[in-house]
Amino acid sequence: MEASVLIFGLVNSATLMLVALGFSLIFGLSGVANLAHGGIYLFSGYVTWMLMNYLGVPFLLAVPLTIIIAGVLGALIYWVALKRVRGLHLSEVIATFAVGVAILELFRWMGFVTYEFTLPVFIKGSVDIAGVSIDYQRLLIIGIGLLLAFALWVFSRYTKMGLALRGMAQDEYTALSIGIDSDWAAALSMALGSAIAAIAAISILPLGIISINMGYEVLIMALAVSVVGGLESITGLVVASIILGFAKTITGTYFDPKWMEVIYLFALVLVLAIKPSGLFGKFKELEERV
Amino acid sequence: MKKRISGLVLFGVVLIGLLIIAGCGQSNTSTGGDSKTSEAKPIVIGVATALGSIEGADSLRAVELAVEEVNAGGGITVKGEKRPLKIVSIDTREHEPGLPVHDALAALEKLITQEKPDAMLVGSFRSEVMLSAMDLIAKYKVPNIVSIAMTPEFEKKLQTNYENYKYNFRMGLTSANLVQYLSKTMDFIGKEHGFKKAYIVNQEVLWAEGTAKGVKKYLEANGWQVIGKDTYATGASDFSASLTKAKNGGAEVIIPIFDMPQSGVLLKQARSMKVPALMAGFISPAAPDSAWKTFDGEVDGLVNFVFEIGPLPVKAVNKSMTFNDNFGKKFGVDQQAKMGGHGPGPAYDSVFVLTDAIKRADSLEANAVVDALKKTDMEGVIGKIKFNENHQVIYDIDPKTSAIGSAFQWVDGKRIPVFPEAAAEAKIKLPEFMNK
Repeated sequence: MEASVLIFGLVNSATLMLVALGFSLIFGLSGVANLAHGGIYLFSGYVTWMLMNYLGVPFLLAVPLTIIIAGVLGALIYWVALKRVRGLHLSEVIATFAVGVAILELFRWMGFVTYEFTLPVFIKGSVDIAGVSIDYQRLLIIGIGLLLAFALWVFSRYTKMGLALRGMAQDEYTALSIGIDSDWAAALSMALGSAIAAIAAISILPLGIISINMGYEVLIMALAVSVVGGLESITGLVVASIILGFAKTITGTYFDPKWMEVIYLFALVLVLAIKPSGLFGKFKELEERV
Repeated sequence: MKKRISGLVLFGVVLIGLLIIAGCGQSNTSTGGDSKTSEAKPIVIGVATALGSIEGADSLRAVELAVEEVNAGGGITVKGEKRPLKIVSIDTREHEPGLPVHDALAALEKLITQEKPDAMLVGSFRSEVMLSAMDLIAKYKVPNIVSIAMTPEFEKKLQTNYENYKYNFRMGLTSANLVQYLSKTMDFIGKEHGFKKAYIVNQEVLWAEGTAKGVKKYLEANGWQVIGKDTYATGASDFSASLTKAKNGGAEVIIPIFDMPQSGVLLKQARSMKVPALMAGFISPAAPDSAWKTFDGEVDGLVNFVFEIGPLPVKAVNKSMTFNDNFGKKFGVDQQAKMGGHGPGPAYDSVFVLTDAIKRADSLEANAVVDALKKTDMEGVIGKIKFNENHQVIYDIDPKTSAIGSAFQWVDGKRIPVFPEAAAEAKIKLPEFMNK
């Protein structure tokens, strides 16, 4: 039982991390709380399915194509819906939420409500680890989650582009004064975050079938992980994913699985009440101290 | 200029949004095909249900198919005049999360007041909407034959004020019937294979929780050991906790009861975790004929349910075979393969039940039609159709004497009916991974 908790706790942690990475990245690099994240995640799943089933594109080609399309969609959302309200945080939240709902409900309206939408796994089969059988796809999710988190940490700290984007998030006017284009930075971060949402979708959705409501659930997961960890902190994101992932598995194994999905909301409320900046967040930390 | 373009884009987005909103709750009209009696005043059938749901959409298609067949035969003779059938439908959107009951009721009332249907078919998707809709139906006095919502409260409410609610009838299976079917299937599996250890996993919604509790009670009273019963919130996507407990506890049968898409994860996860148990229950994504392809064959060995036969062709009920063929011809083989296991069978039959009652009453007057409906006794795609004193179609295990639901097993890409025995076409086979 303990080995099972350890292994599936890790899987759940990595799943949460993957789901939240794109959301956290966009906020960390541009300060935009992208509530269209769930919509983009689901859009990516359906686009991959459509490329494969309507156009006959092989899975291995559909994957990079979807990631690029999702990236372009992210940048487009910025140029069409966000640019005019840039800096008005409440308007940004309303605009991205509206776009997310529009994407999800558009698919519902188009009839994507049946049960045939599923994506193939990267590698079929399973392996026994410490007496627990686990499929390769879940192991891949752990690997992809860790790899992406590391890559983003390096990108945002050790590349010129990443530093420029972080600079913009920290102080837009100072960044502008040294020649960083605010719109370019925000659009790029939206594109990157959306591409990461696509990677998450392509990795996680093959575990089951794609359904519209997942878009809303993914948004709640991403919000919970990002708020608990600290909105712009990748370290916080990793730690929060591990806490929530294991909390979820332990709840299901030793208590009652029906509480597994409540864990996110409970953690969200708890952190907002005690430390609104999150475990590792710097955002508003000064105000909290004062 | 830039501002103007942005303004135009914004205007376009708002306009599209308004068009989408306007599209919801819009009623549609159809005659289900060419009518030979188009000059006569049509008999109007109203369908107000969640058209965006699998059950709602397939049920409307089934009604369209039946109406086309009736109209192809010249329509219905009422007081010496042949009259065609006409369908008017409206999307109540009640399957969408968070949609208030009164919104669905508003759509229903709009259809009744604007289109003035002679009868309503298919009806509410959600039980709470159906129970509230019974009052609207009583207000407008329109015969109403529902086939999706499953709560047993329907019968109780009808009896609280029979004169008021007598216009309501139900053709679909109730959750109490489902408990009986699942329990009897477990008895059958127990006898065939000597299994006595079960693990129940169900979705945290009223019908599934009620069904799971009923099955648990029955199994425990009949010599089974229920190792565990876990409930999962709608949207849950990790079932490792229950599967580990089932595996470690030596469960021989896992009984899933879910109608959420994510329950497909349970099926795949059980396979990947190599849980050596027969899965027998209800997983909605694994019910349609297309599920074999969707799950890449991982449904092999699963014993699943169709709530009412019809979408599952059963040789013992000839009409169910014809229904499937005709559905495929009208809507395409792909659409037929995707047909859900709850709704289309009784929805199709409800057209013939209604027209039979109208013919016998020789009237469209609601009270006369209701009196005739009560005396219904006919063969349908769901088996023998008769209503009990609470206006509920009687479901049991012999299609010659009652309507039936059916358990089927996925074997080599095909759905083989395995229960009830009167409709079974093969014995339940243990999947290969259980024999290893």
